[in-house]
Amino acid sequence: MKKNSMIKNSSFSLISTKKIIQMNNIWTSYDSKIFVLKGINLSIDRGTNYAIVGQSGSGKSTLLKLMNGMMLSSKGTIKIDYVMPDMNDKKFKKMMHTIGYIPQSLGLIKNITVLENILIGALPRLSKIQSFFKRFPEHEIQEAKRILKLVALSGKENRKVYMLSGGEKRRVAIARALMQKPTILLADEIVSELDHVTAHEIMDLIADAQKRMNLTAIMVHHDLQIALEYADRVAVIKEGKKILEIGVEGETIVDFQTGDMSAEEIMEMYSDDSQK
Amino acid sequence: MTPKNNILIGIIVALLVVASYNVDANPIEFIDGLPNLAIVVEEMLHVEPKYIPTAIWAMFETIQMAFIGTIVGFAISLPLSMLAARNLNSKYVYAPIRALLAAIRTFPSILWAILFVIMVGLGPFAGVLAIIMYTIGFVTKLQYEAIETIDSDPMDAVNSIGVSKWQLIRYVVIPESASHLLSQLLYMFDYNIRQTSILGLVGAGGIGFYIINYIKFFEYGKAAVFMLVVLVTVLIIDWVSVKIRDKYIIKSQHGMEVTTK
Repeated sequence: MKKNSMIKNSSFSLISTKKIIQMNNIWTSYDSKIFVLKGINLSIDRGTNYAIVGQSGSGKSTLLKLMNGMMLSSKGTIKIDYVMPDMNDKKFKKMMHTIGYIPQSLGLIKNITVLENILIGALPRLSKIQSFFKRFPEHEIQEAKRILKLVALSGKENRKVYMLSGGEKRRVAIARALMQKPTILLADEIVSELDHVTAHEIMDLIADAQKRMNLTAIMVHHDLQIALEYADRVAVIKEGKKILEIGVEGETIVDFQTGDMSAEEIMEMYSDDSQK
Repeated sequence: MTPKNNILIGIIVALLVVASYNVDANPIEFIDGLPNLAIVVEEMLHVEPKYIPTAIWAMFETIQMAFIGTIVGFAISLPLSMLAARNLNSKYVYAPIRALLAAIRTFPSILWAILFVIMVGLGPFAGVLAIIMYTIGFVTKLQYEAIETIDSDPMDAVNSIGVSKWQLIRYVVIPESASHLLSQLLYMFDYNIRQTSILGLVGAGGIGFYIINYIKFFEYGKAAVFMLVVLVTVLIIDWVSVKIRDKYIIKSQHGMEVTTK
């Protein structure tokens, strides 16, 4: 098993040696008393499909918010493409333009149309006058329509968001993120409330876009099964600590963190946590 | 009833008696005055229909004053409310703006009208200015409270793209609070028509000017025509705004498809 993980690691380094996300000993707290994250270390390669799995309250959503600068860590260092994430920093603010973030509630504006929601992803590319008068350039509108087609929402561009189904709303949120021309896509439990078929449709869509655009997709899940199905690597978070980092190689689950756990031990460990 | 409650009720009753004595609020005088009311009502029943066109014209002027006051007041209050909302600004921005708004709200519209009559002279313009000031003070508070209750998720999602504050307001805050803003606009217009109807009391134009003058000269029959026109107009506007609210606001707030049948 250990050998397997070594092989997989070296094959990754051939694709890209560049780490897009590096987190060292991250501690985070909302009230400076109780820590949500306790000494997290993460290292994510560019172009990977990465998943973070954990129970409710494990700190997995907080981890995503640290990656797009919406939250600051109390201790430790974070580097996103070698830049410290901080919304007030000009360099990082520019970088935020290409970090797609889909919160668990999707964050769509329900009173405007699908197309208008998607075009929001192009806002950083607009001049002040264009954004004041809501004049999106023709090429941006065409790009939005192309993405609409990609997420299978053609013909629904003028629908108001509140008229859409749960699966369709997720497609709009993905389309808005893709409209940003992102290098990183962060999604928080995007399929947790969907039925099995729709969840797989949405995951297929993201996996397809991830490969097509060479994105680094970082997705938070509640369900380990779906994470293992799609992700190159899965970090399991429990009570603010990373307890596992695993992946699937062929038919086997590989432990990347310690390199010495069997598939059965890993699954057993996770199911023990789920029961708690 | 606990003894504590009895003491409390006793204190309230005692305060009521003392305050009534202090302000000469005598119920006997009220009963004695009832025949006077009967005389006024009897005279008011002699309605003089030939004044109806004048009354309608005066009411039209009142509606126009209220319309200008509401729209201009609303247009000024919108940027102010963006600056006064706690979820969009630091306290160094919203605290002074809120203090200014609280100061504006201290004066009722009639006091603003007196101030503007002194400033720009008698007539409807003073009334319009008074309505603008009152609308700013009042509607800005309603607006920033509506903005503060916006769902934070769309704000966070769009903020995470790294957009400017102006873009956040234009593309998230305004669309998300649009139904509340429209509802407040309607409410304020409705309210301002009632207010403008009395601004004539201090010479700031509108239908109130006629009412107060006819009452001063004991011409209750003529005053009654104008009062009747105010009553009918207010009822119509109330009915129209209920219809608009039902059709466009209530449904959109509940995330239902808006029909315009």
